[in-house]
Amino acid sequence: MNGTTATAALSVANLDRSFGGLRATSDVSFDVAEGTITALIGPNGAGKTTLFNLITNIIRPNAGKVLFHGHNITGVTPARIAAMGLVRTFQTARVFPGMTVLENVLVGRHRLLHAGTLAQMLWLPHTRREERNLAAQAEALLDAVGLASYRDTHAVDLPMGAQKLLEVIRALMAKPRLLLLDEPAAGLNDSETEELAALLRAIRETGITVLVVEHNMSLVMNVADQVVVLEAGAVIARGRPDEVQRNPRVIEAYLGSDATTQDFDAQDSDAEEARP
Amino acid sequence: MTDFIQLLVGGVLTGSIYALIALGFSLVYRVTGVINLAQGAFCILAALTCHSLQAELGWPVWAASLGGIAMTVAAGAITGALTFVPGLSRLSNANMLMMAAGLLTMAEGGILVLWGSQPYALPPFSGNRPVEIAGILVPTQGLWVVGTTLLTIACLWYLLARTRLGRALRACAENPAAARLMGIDVPRMTLLAFTLAAFIGAVAGVVIAPATSLQFDTGRLFTISGFVAVAIGGIASFPGSILGGLLLGLVNHFATAYVSSLFSNAIALGLLLVVLVWRPSGLVGAGVTRRQDVREEARVWKHVVRLKPPVAWITAGIALVGAALLPTVLPEGAILSSLVIAGILFIALLGLDILMGYAGQVSLGQAGFMAIGGYTAAWLAVEHDVAPLLGVLAGMALSLVCALVLSVVTLRLRGLYLALATLAFGLLVDSFAIGFSDITGGPSGLVGIPSFAVGGFEFDTPLSMYYLVLVLDAVLVLLFAGAIRASFGRALQAIRTDQMAAAALGVDVVKCKLTAFAISAMLASLSGSLYAFFFHFLSPEMVGTARSLELVAMLVIGGEGTLVGPLLGGILLTMMPAVFQPLASYKTFFSGALLVLCFLRLPEGLFGGAVAGLGRLFRSRQAPPALVGEGMAP
Ligand SMILES: Nc1ncnc2c1ncn2[C@@H]1O[C@H](COP(=O)(O)OP(=O)(O)OP(=O)(O)O)[C@@H](O)[C@H]1O
Ligand SMILES: [Mg+2]
Repeated sequence: MNGTTATAALSVANLDRSFGGLRATSDVSFDVAEGTITALIGPNGAGKTTLFNLITNIIRPNAGKVLFHGHNITGVTPARIAAMGLVRTFQTARVFPGMTVLENVLVGRHRLLHAGTLAQMLWLPHTRREERNLAAQAEALLDAVGLASYRDTHAVDLPMGAQKLLEVIRALMAKPRLLLLDEPAAGLNDSETEELAALLRAIRETGITVLVVEHNMSLVMNVADQVVVLEAGAVIARGRPDEVQRNPRVIEAYLGSDATTQDFDAQDSDAEEARP
Repeated sequence: MTDFIQLLVGGVLTGSIYALIALGFSLVYRVTGVINLAQGAFCILAALTCHSLQAELGWPVWAASLGGIAMTVAAGAITGALTFVPGLSRLSNANMLMMAAGLLTMAEGGILVLWGSQPYALPPFSGNRPVEIAGILVPTQGLWVVGTTLLTIACLWYLLARTRLGRALRACAENPAAARLMGIDVPRMTLLAFTLAAFIGAVAGVVIAPATSLQFDTGRLFTISGFVAVAIGGIASFPGSILGGLLLGLVNHFATAYVSSLFSNAIALGLLLVVLVWRPSGLVGAGVTRRQDVREEARVWKHVVRLKPPVAWITAGIALVGAALLPTVLPEGAILSSLVIAGILFIALLGLDILMGYAGQVSLGQAGFMAIGGYTAAWLAVEHDVAPLLGVLAGMALSLVCALVLSVVTLRLRGLYLALATLAFGLLVDSFAIGFSDITGGPSGLVGIPSFAVGGFEFDTPLSMYYLVLVLDAVLVLLFAGAIRASFGRALQAIRTDQMAAAALGVDVVKCKLTAFAISAMLASLSGSLYAFFFHFLSPEMVGTARSLELVAMLVIGGEGTLVGPLLGGILLTMMPAVFQPLASYKTFFSGALLVLCFLRLPEGLFGGAVAGLGRLFRSRQAPPALVGEGMAP
């Protein structure tokens, strides 16, 4: 990992955003080097999701800018940002209701398809071929995360953890250059979390840069090349996982004083995911 | 000057009633997030009940008024408990809006059955002689109206601001989830709000009754005026609703006096569209901003309806052959004609399904495009001898232009505001159809429209039209099936439920919506043209708001998001009066009732139900593994 060469895949500079009196992020700056996995951690309400929303311009920052491979994407519409190759998932899995698992995955590729609506209406051979190839790729991805047998299931009928995996591979179908994942492990059990770690490494192997928000410390320590710690909207530490793990400010932020690193795992939290 | 003041007074009187109806809208909206389109039905129901109690049972005015109000409130409470409240827990807001449209249709149909279609007039509460106040003549009923409005507003304010019940209601309005956590029984509060709205509507109906003529469809007019009023004023605010009502009343009166009564509606609707563009949430804002990144509660109640391709092809083939052979066993007559009509309406329904069933964009003004297509083609054929085919194309082109212009307004709108804008569009077209009588023949319609013809061949018998429509329907279904099963259809379905997640994957939401809207407009236009050629006649009410609502009912009953399903709904509602003559007067009631019933019991519609049945028949042994996923659930 050498984050200082060339331009970073993502560079966040002085991002600021307040909601009423609450300063959700204040002066946040960090870089994500190309081809690495960066983990964004912090206690509940630290502003991690807000940061994702600012990067993808779902919420406008009050100040600061975002560079994606050197291009300034501050103020660009979310769809255009996605089209540039910056794709995200959401903390609460947002699969599309009314569609099957397979169809959900296929939506990911939408922007890269060549066939026009008119060609599809005429059932032209090349559109059908494209659809078939696409379905094959989607099924391969579903297979990789063990969801292949659910391809025709209504997506919202999947358990929460599976929905989050579905969202990850849907994002992968978009062939991103940079993938933002918001708590992908929430709702997964230990062995599934292991598989997710493997998946993340495989994603990195293919050259995709990953920025992941995660509460599961063993996962973070396992896969991350860089960890950025956020507390109350501000970056309080960043560096290699082992450095961050030893950083007293981080330990304090997470556990109050006098804590050991072992207790990190106790912080696994997906309680805020509670849904009716 | 006195003229001006006289107009002002008249405007305020009408405006008070609009304000009351608007208040009912706002109350239900703030507690549930749903526009209850049935609001106007409460007014007319109370007024007509009051009339019957007076005329038939000889009750005095005050007793009849109270009786009318009481019965309406009871009817409102029952309807609310049986339909509105259960619907809220499983239907999306767009579907709730359509269900409310179904309730309105149902009420309209019920009134048609009970009271017939003739107009009624009620005597004023205290005589016909107007009182003179500072040189201005004010009808005494006007004083009753203003007094009642003020009293109702005061009572409502007291209830909401000063009582425990009111606090609970307000808590529900501000944040239902939090209210639930605080131990408030949200469904009960919802029912209370609905009933309260029924009460306000009933009061408005009873006091305004002597000042207007009452008919089965007056309820729709009340609903529309109230809806327009809240949209102008700001639905999320009570003062806004009242302001909107008064403003609308004034605009109506001044426009009627200084421009023309034919266009006073058009002017009010123009005002509405301007407000929607300029301040989509109305003149008085809510002061509460919603979190953008949180998904709107996506209630999923429908199942996914998918036929396996071989099954779909075989079924389609059998259906097509059956349809082609049908006329050989059918006598040429009412039934064949109804089938032709159903087939023509299906073209509009296809477009509506793409727009509403797939892309999730509510449209209550689809008949507006039918009118554009119908009048354009018919007028060109009648007045200028233009070949029908060219006329059809001209109509489609004009509809496309109108759709794109309307998109400037609607693209920024979602959900109820979109529904409102399309409704306003339909009404606008309607008022032009009535107003421009040189071109359209006015209210009595355009006569002498020739048969459809292509290159010398005239489709002048129901049988030839039947085959024309059959081929057209089949080709259109094939075309759209191709696009729907590929990326186009997936993108539409994605934006239907989650525009933000779709955008985050790079789906061009604006382009998708525009395409769906343009397609639906052109198909409706085509349908409208054929409709005119088939009937050799076209009048505004054939392609008015009632038609728009009927299309929605057909779509939902047949099964939205299924492409061919709406045909079943279309056939059912068109054939019913043809097959069972005695049922003809019940048609409106049934189409509303079926719509509501489908939303509550069969959200996939008839087609979805049939497919589920077929699926059970063809159930393969390799069923997907059960979804247990121990530990996967959080
Ligand atoms: N759109 C918004 N409007 C108002 N407040 C917001 C908005 N978005 C976030 N906040 C607030 O900003 C703070 C940071 O929230 P955020 O969701 O970013 O935290 P997080 O780090 O993702 O926490 P978690 O681990 O619980 O997901 C919270 O106090 C939250 O309530
Ligand atoms: Mg978060």
